[in-house]
Amino acid sequence: MIKITNLEKFYRTEEVETIALNKLTMEVNTGEFVAIMGPSGCGKSTLLNILGMLDDPDEGSYVFNGIEVAHFNERKRADLRKHNIGFVFQSFNLIDELTVFENVELPLIYTGVTASERVKRVEEVLDKMQIMHRRNHYPQQLSGGQQQRVAIARAVVNKPKLILADEPTGNLDSSNGNDVMELLTDLNEQGTTIIMVTHSEHDARYSHRIIRLLDGQTVMENIMV
Amino acid sequence: MFKNYIKITWRNLMKNKGFTAINIAGLAVGMASAALILFWVQNEASYDQFHANKNRLYQMYNKSVFDGKLWCWGTTPKPMMKSLKQDYPQVEQAARISGGAFLFTVGDKRLTIPGNFTDPDFLTMFSFPLIKGDPKTALNSMNNIVLTEKTAKKLFGNDNAMGKTIKIDSVDYFTVTGVMKDLPNNTRFDFEYLLPWSYWEKLNKGEDKNWGNNSTNTYALLKPGVTEGYINTRIKNITRTHSDIKDIDVFMHPATKWRLYSKFENGKIAGGRIDTIKLFSIIAVFILLIACINFMNLSTARSEKRAKEVGIRKVVGASKGSLITQFLGESIMIAFIAGALALVIIQLSLPAFNTLTEKQLFIPFNSAPFWMIVLSFILFTGMVSGSYPALYLSSFAPVKVLKGTFKAANATFSPRKILVVTQFWFAIVLIISTIIVKQQLDYAQNRDTGYKKDNLVYTFMSGNIEKNYALIRNELITSGAVTAVTKTSAPMTEGWSDSWDFNWQGKDQNAKIDFNMFNVDGDFSKTMNLKILKGRDIDIKTYPSDSSAILVNEAAVKIMNFKDPIGQIVIRDSHKLVIVGVVKDFILQSPYEPVKQMIIQGPSAWFNVIHYKLNDKNTTAQNLKLVEAVFKKFNPDYPFDYHFIDDEYSKKFASEQQIGTLASLFAGLTIFISCLGLFGLATYMAQNRIKEIGVRKVLGASVLGVTTMLSKDFLKLVGIAFAFSVPVAWYFMHGWLMKYSYRIEISVWVFAIAAFLTTLISIITVSFQAVKAALANPVKSLRSE
Repeated sequence: MIKITNLEKFYRTEEVETIALNKLTMEVNTGEFVAIMGPSGCGKSTLLNILGMLDDPDEGSYVFNGIEVAHFNERKRADLRKHNIGFVFQSFNLIDELTVFENVELPLIYTGVTASERVKRVEEVLDKMQIMHRRNHYPQQLSGGQQQRVAIARAVVNKPKLILADEPTGNLDSSNGNDVMELLTDLNEQGTTIIMVTHSEHDARYSHRIIRLLDGQTVMENIMV
Repeated sequence: MFKNYIKITWRNLMKNKGFTAINIAGLAVGMASAALILFWVQNEASYDQFHANKNRLYQMYNKSVFDGKLWCWGTTPKPMMKSLKQDYPQVEQAARISGGAFLFTVGDKRLTIPGNFTDPDFLTMFSFPLIKGDPKTALNSMNNIVLTEKTAKKLFGNDNAMGKTIKIDSVDYFTVTGVMKDLPNNTRFDFEYLLPWSYWEKLNKGEDKNWGNNSTNTYALLKPGVTEGYINTRIKNITRTHSDIKDIDVFMHPATKWRLYSKFENGKIAGGRIDTIKLFSIIAVFILLIACINFMNLSTARSEKRAKEVGIRKVVGASKGSLITQFLGESIMIAFIAGALALVIIQLSLPAFNTLTEKQLFIPFNSAPFWMIVLSFILFTGMVSGSYPALYLSSFAPVKVLKGTFKAANATFSPRKILVVTQFWFAIVLIISTIIVKQQLDYAQNRDTGYKKDNLVYTFMSGNIEKNYALIRNELITSGAVTAVTKTSAPMTEGWSDSWDFNWQGKDQNAKIDFNMFNVDGDFSKTMNLKILKGRDIDIKTYPSDSSAILVNEAAVKIMNFKDPIGQIVIRDSHKLVIVGVVKDFILQSPYEPVKQMIIQGPSAWFNVIHYKLNDKNTTAQNLKLVEAVFKKFNPDYPFDYHFIDDEYSKKFASEQQIGTLASLFAGLTIFISCLGLFGLATYMAQNRIKEIGVRKVLGASVLGVTTMLSKDFLKLVGIAFAFSVPVAWYFMHGWLMKYSYRIEISVWVFAIAAFLTTLISIITVSFQAVKAALANPVKSLRSE
């Protein structure tokens, strides 16, 4: 599904140039659950952003589902992204002014799903995430675990092929964290590819494969049994 | 999708009520101010544009050289009208119009009402519709009168006025042959009735055939297809053809230009009210722009709060275009709310604005085009004010905002700085202009008039006043209410007559020099407290030969080049006039112009007005009561009318006063809107820097130090704005002052005062938030991280 070759990304300020990704090459197959680990500043998030087409690489190739996307413009990337990729963040990133239902509905609005179909699909996914009873609440009225469920519901409502999770349990206690990991595992078992950035060895154990990064390069790959 | 946008807009507005209020209030005040100005402009532009024949209507103008300069004026000889109709096949209709005021008597009702004499064509040339009567015949016979609806009501109540009789000046009887719809507010004409020109001729003992007497306005309606250029080549010599006056060209001034283009310089149209209109239109645009800038500033200042939303929307699939649409939609929605509020503000402030501008403007709620304009106005405002925030917000990179590394650039980042500077630049220009207009007004108002205005009163000589003048004068003096009386041709504040038909020894025969003319009988200098510099006042009782005596003013002595003016002979119409005195220059006409050369004739001339000086030992009320009794005794049929010279003189400043008040009003509003924006920005700045303030305080910064630090950034912007506004304000006000011969010099103090005022206002605005931020407990602010 994903094949990146010699990917490079630099950050420049006036005086210093930092290399975030240094000729990185990796592959992720459809249906995989991959964890990316590494110390702060090793380029995990940069990689995830590029994989999610939120950012573009400076050099190298990125083939997504057989299409070279490394130098797509913002509009094309946005289009590809909204139909194929769901995001889960550490800080949930829900819109405070919208209710649970409206937050989950948002991706459907941007992909042009009809109103009646939207209601059906949002209710379905809220039900699955067991937060149906909270549908008219605002994010601030929910616990962290509940907020992350909403975020996951939003990520999957469009039935994406790929979910990118950036430390999804980072802001949660262990019991809520485990719940979230169970949810991701379920999704993966139903066929969704998942790439997750994490600091937690515990969470990484849910994955099939761990890619360890250091200074923008792959230093090790562990296959989980 | 739109439902989603509206929902989030509404919730955002409700969540930040303070900012919503500032934003909407600023925008509403800006929109209301701009709309009021545009109403005024629209009204000015609509003057006399409602006549069905407006493209064929013209006023006759004269053009001639005086003192080497080409002058144009719109009073014309009375016989011109007949010649237009008889000799020029291009002219379809023509009419003269001249003013007057008569005592109307109907039953017990007695009223002095101003009206006009005119020719019968007037009613069909212009679109002043008759509610009753036939416009083709209503003024055809000498004893017909056409009343406006208002006057008909005044005289006859709700009865049908048609066919009723009115006694005029206790001598003549008129039959009402027409009732006219009241004149609209946007016309140059101002009368409450029309009398036939034939009655004017009766009063003035026959037809005036003098082509040298330019004393009436003449209007012409051209036949369809006749162009202005063509008729002007035909009409140019009309005065030459009919008289031995060889130096006057005649031309036609079209109705479409009467109101806005009525100033002539060297024989060509050189603007007029259009200049004021342009100026105020610019002000309107700027005020609206400033309100929009406020909106932009506040929206972008809040960007940090919106950034997360932008990031999330982008991540879940929003394109930049859809975000731009969302934010523009948001600002248009706010513009709609502000627009509704603006309509309320306009409706509430129209009465005051109408008083100020002497207009009758109103909101045309029933007019579809009006609502179309309102709609486009709101859309325009929403688009303009939303454009920058929309582009700014939609350009956020989701990677940054969602990782929390996003920090909206410092609250005073560049584009916003430019916006604040623009706002204050305009506000300061307006402040400086206001101060200069007021100074110029003060300067002109305090100019020495040359005579004493206080307690000086005049009454028009109506009915039997002229006949009983000697008796009235004696009784006024013996009553003790009055200390001096004189008859004059016109009120002291108005020049009614001028002539260039004077000759004297040593005059350059090629020079055409126009003199103001004024007629007085005895006691002129005593009544007016006017200084006689040489010779003496005219005094027919002591000097019987004074029937041919004249006074001249200083300006006349200078232009006539007399070393010793007393005893010099001035010839007019083969009459020999002798200069017996030189009076100090006094202001008859414009207080902004140099005093013009003037010849004051003695008792053989014509008179219209009695001036009298009230006795300052009594109260004004006592004096007026006694004076009224005298006039009632000798002129019982007429209501006693009187005018204080003080009041009349102050009317000369009305237009400047109006400009001054409007300028200060709009300067105030601009400052208000700008300060709303500044206040909002300061609030956000204080919030954004709350951690920095906390750290500084923990490290020992004082409240004053923090306040100064926070205010300094804004004051720097105001300073830059000031630097830009000085040359612009100087340039405009210098140009404005050049209109006046008698004018102030722009002093440095004006700029200093403006700088001080603006700084003070901005310090007050900003320091409120700055002090609040500085006083906050640092423990709290640091914990909030």
